[in-house]
Amino acid sequence: MTVVPAQHTGGGGGTSGLYDVLELVLDRGLVIDAFIRVSLVGIEILKIDVRVVIASVDTYLRFAEACNRLDLEAGPRRSPGLPDLVGEITESGARGKSKGALSGAAETISDAFKQAREEGQTESRPRPRKSTTARRKEEQE
Amino acid sequence: MSTYVYGITAGSHPKLPEGVDGVGDPPRAVRVIKEGELAAVVSDAPEGLRPKRRDLLAHQNVLAETGAVGPVLPMRFGSLSPDDAAVAGVLAERADHFKERLEALAGKVEYNVKASHDEEAVLHRVMAENPEIRALTEANRQAGGGSYEQRLRLGEIVVAAVKNREAEDAVEIQHVLEPVAAAVSVGPESTGWLANVSFLVDRESAEVFINAVEQVRKSHPYLELRVNGPLPPYSFVEPGPSPPAETRTED
Repeated sequence: MTVVPAQHTGGGGGTSGLYDVLELVLDRGLVIDAFIRVSLVGIEILKIDVRVVIASVDTYLRFAEACNRLDLEAGPRRSPGLPDLVGEITESGARGKSKGALSGAAETISDAFKQAREEGQTESRPRPRKSTTARRKEEQE
Repeated sequence: MSTYVYGITAGSHPKLPEGVDGVGDPPRAVRVIKEGELAAVVSDAPEGLRPKRRDLLAHQNVLAETGAVGPVLPMRFGSLSPDDAAVAGVLAERADHFKERLEALAGKVEYNVKASHDEEAVLHRVMAENPEIRALTEANRQAGGGSYEQRLRLGEIVVAAVKNREAEDAVEIQHVLEPVAAAVSVGPESTGWLANVSFLVDRESAEVFINAVEQVRKSHPYLELRVNGPLPPYSFVEPGPSPPAETRTED
């Protein structure tokens, strides 16, 4: 029998794993009415992601163009994973989507998690320095 | 000073996480409140606690550590009790309920699966399945991209087809993985993924579940699957059977 690895995470690192299960930590788990809960302003960030299909004129035009650019001759059973094209499409889509959807509060949380993912790579350090994001935030306050 | 509650476990839990770093900056030390056969994993609550990365991680870490050696009922992040005595009161008052849940979840862990489409791959697929989309795309190409109305029409049909595929794939993922799990809970909806489903899995047979996920990956190359686990059973703390393919609403 093989041993099951301790942790399976989509992103690999500990904090990116947290990002993936954020909605479970914030929206699932035991709630006891005798206890109060801290305010969760800003979790709207959960509603935003790069691979969003929303019915809007922008989306329709984006998909129409994506179809135009697809190489039909390559056929449907061709294995996916031409990273260049996929990256291009999803990134341009993301910019259009996220803009305006982020409220100020959500941006703060967004920054915190961007920072979390960046710092995830330097976790082994005893006391990671504050990222520029955090410093900039402090200066604004 | 109020008390931050991480989770509830059996008093006989083999390794309660006393002294582990909890929420707050500097981290408050985790302590244990025992009452009858139960124990609550708690710490002092820092002033002005917010859902910051550091604190979410601390909450998750304390529960992961506790859950690694025995069943724990994870609290939702940010649960505060006025004081330790109130925590002990809740443990005493609802002892039977907590004991039943701990027993039901013994030896089980949560795996969360999120799925999204690889956009280019799923476009290939809907095009292959839909002659109208192929024809419209071809017409637009020949017209040098097509007029605004033509592009809009094509896009509309494509988006509808992709959404159909999303719905079908969400059902299929759950259908394939359900038999290798003890329970299923559909996670909060979001536009970021087409499926967000948690599965309660026997810790001992987690490998079977992971293998089943791998099979889905292989048979559905246009799906991107993200698996997280083993996790404390956040989605299974409430009793009762989980509804099958429908979204559960709480609160």
